[in-house]
Amino acid sequence: MTTSFPLALLFADSHETQAILSAHAVDFLIIAIYFVVVLAIGFYLKRYTKSSEDFFMAGRDITAWVAGLSFICANLGALELMGWAASAYQYGILAAHYYWFGAIPAMLFLGVVMMPFYYICKTHSVPGYLQLRFGEPTRLVGALSFIFLTILMSGINMYAMAVVMKVMLGWDIQLSIWISSLTVAVYVALGGLVSAIFNEVLQFFLIWFGALMIPILGMVEAGGWSGLVARIQRNFPQGDYTHLWRPMAHFADNPMGIHWTGIVFGLLMGSLGYWTTDFLVVQRALAAKDLRAAKLAPIIGSYFKMAVPLIVVLPGLLALGVLPFKLVPESAVGPGQHSYNEVLPLMLARYCGPGLLGLGITALIAGFMSGMAGNVSAFATVWTYDLYRPFLRKTGTDAHYVSMGRWCTILGVVISIGTAYLVMQFASIMDYAQAVFSFFITPLFATVFLGMMWKRATPAGGFWGLLIGTLSSLGMWLLVKLDPSKLAWIALSTNAKPMAENMYRLLWSGIIAVIFIVVVSLFTRPKPLEELSGLVYGCTEIPSEGHLPLLKRPIFWAAVSFAIFALLQWIFW
Amino acid sequence: MESKPQGLRSGGEGGARRIAVDLEDPKPRDHHMIPVWFFVGVILLIYGVIILGTGIYEFSSPPPTVLASTHPAVWWGALLTVIGGIYVYLYMPKKS
Repeated sequence: MTTSFPLALLFADSHETQAILSAHAVDFLIIAIYFVVVLAIGFYLKRYTKSSEDFFMAGRDITAWVAGLSFICANLGALELMGWAASAYQYGILAAHYYWFGAIPAMLFLGVVMMPFYYICKTHSVPGYLQLRFGEPTRLVGALSFIFLTILMSGINMYAMAVVMKVMLGWDIQLSIWISSLTVAVYVALGGLVSAIFNEVLQFFLIWFGALMIPILGMVEAGGWSGLVARIQRNFPQGDYTHLWRPMAHFADNPMGIHWTGIVFGLLMGSLGYWTTDFLVVQRALAAKDLRAAKLAPIIGSYFKMAVPLIVVLPGLLALGVLPFKLVPESAVGPGQHSYNEVLPLMLARYCGPGLLGLGITALIAGFMSGMAGNVSAFATVWTYDLYRPFLRKTGTDAHYVSMGRWCTILGVVISIGTAYLVMQFASIMDYAQAVFSFFITPLFATVFLGMMWKRATPAGGFWGLLIGTLSSLGMWLLVKLDPSKLAWIALSTNAKPMAENMYRLLWSGIIAVIFIVVVSLFTRPKPLEELSGLVYGCTEIPSEGHLPLLKRPIFWAAVSFAIFALLQWIFW
Repeated sequence: MESKPQGLRSGGEGGARRIAVDLEDPKPRDHHMIPVWFFVGVILLIYGVIILGTGIYEFSSPPPTVLASTHPAVWWGALLTVIGGIYVYLYMPKKS
């Protein structure tokens, strides 16, 4: 979800400009080394992926730290870095809500409350859980929507990367698409999920080391936080760019046009939907070697997620304070001007000379490729386990399913490339893709969560709740598209910006899904209790952490993470 | 159709199932795979050396960037070299 909203901003970048960055030979050397290393990892790991459990679930042998870093990196794409840096320039520190309030509670909730059920039932995927809990029809809805969205988003990311490389470096779009996607296809097809995870951990380090120079040097130039705040107030005296909650008492008081209720309820609901049911990230935790590691994965990830604003939001704020010119919206870019979306490359060019620039560009390429690898590995798993095996070939050998996974990875990349070319022709697809993504997440969360927590939820209730919740979200979106004045119905204000509309639509569709699940369940026959063992609270024996030392207990680290999260809200209130 | 949860054991026809999932994996698996941290160390070490070398060269030819006088490539390259070196040393595959 955190990648969702600024994404559209990047694609409007159709104006022809001179490349922002000028790479030197040493920068190309650094980029080339990166490609060599990720391919070498794929070839090396091929020997360890013999069974389907190895290929799709990394042998369920991943440690907590590796799973945690991979969990966070699958979400830390370059679009996220660039899009939210642009949002930080536009909205100020309000953009940090999407990393803190819009992520941390949900990640901790996944680790502490929901992960035991996913892990204990040994499902291979989130649609797999839906099948165990609610039956085949619900799995089919979940799997088809996931497959569709994954390929769509993968293609869009691929195209976005090519556009960014063209804008930043003047590289050819075709070249960027083919080189990056074929590299991902090779290393994921060879090593499966373990290869994707290994590379995500590598990419995690590159992203941090490549992007950290901007906030470090930026804070030196601005004179620390107090110096930065003073500079922003001097450059932009009309807005409050450095407080998280203070300007949210009224819709018109903040540049996002949102009331605090939209953030608290809508963003919370949306983030729960994304972080707890998007198989792309959940798959990393399911690959953990034991239940404790699986619970720790999102908890470890939450610490790094809290720190991501350092390399995303802070550069946007620094640009407000130190750039000698003002960035403008995409639609208003004139000759010699730059848009919000170019803020991160501009800051990179400001501080990073040869070598460091190559590292920064590699960080962005790594971000794009980790997102793409996450998409295709999750696609291969859901296709093979949730569509091909149950509906097309039930009796294949294990080797057959591994082979299907490898081919499916390549097929997924090829379809993504096709989607990227489609997007190149019809740019409006990208606007709709974000909305389509938001249709599913909160109804899916409501379905999975009630399935885990409420024994009385029935297969019919789960199916109809998921379907009607999703259709209601689609209906609300269409309503506003056809009649923009209805925005006041959905988002409670005509001042609402697209982000605010998304927040409220997430909230309402989640509530509608809950109502349908509850009502339909009360009128239909529940599953016998013995069939709910391992799937539902009250029917599942969750191993106790009581015998572990405090420092080894996931709940302790979740509490520390939440305390730091609360402290950040207080500091930047 | 997805198989029944593998961590569950049937308690008989229609009977309750019992969970067989441990909180911690009791026995570490031995598969001789090079840890990911080694690969991390290798790439950080290579990048560190390259960036440090570039930074040293920039003493004679400074880049036109803000705060170039603080020589960020030198200390950032040195940091990457040290961290990469530590990871390579700690996670180097053992011959045995």
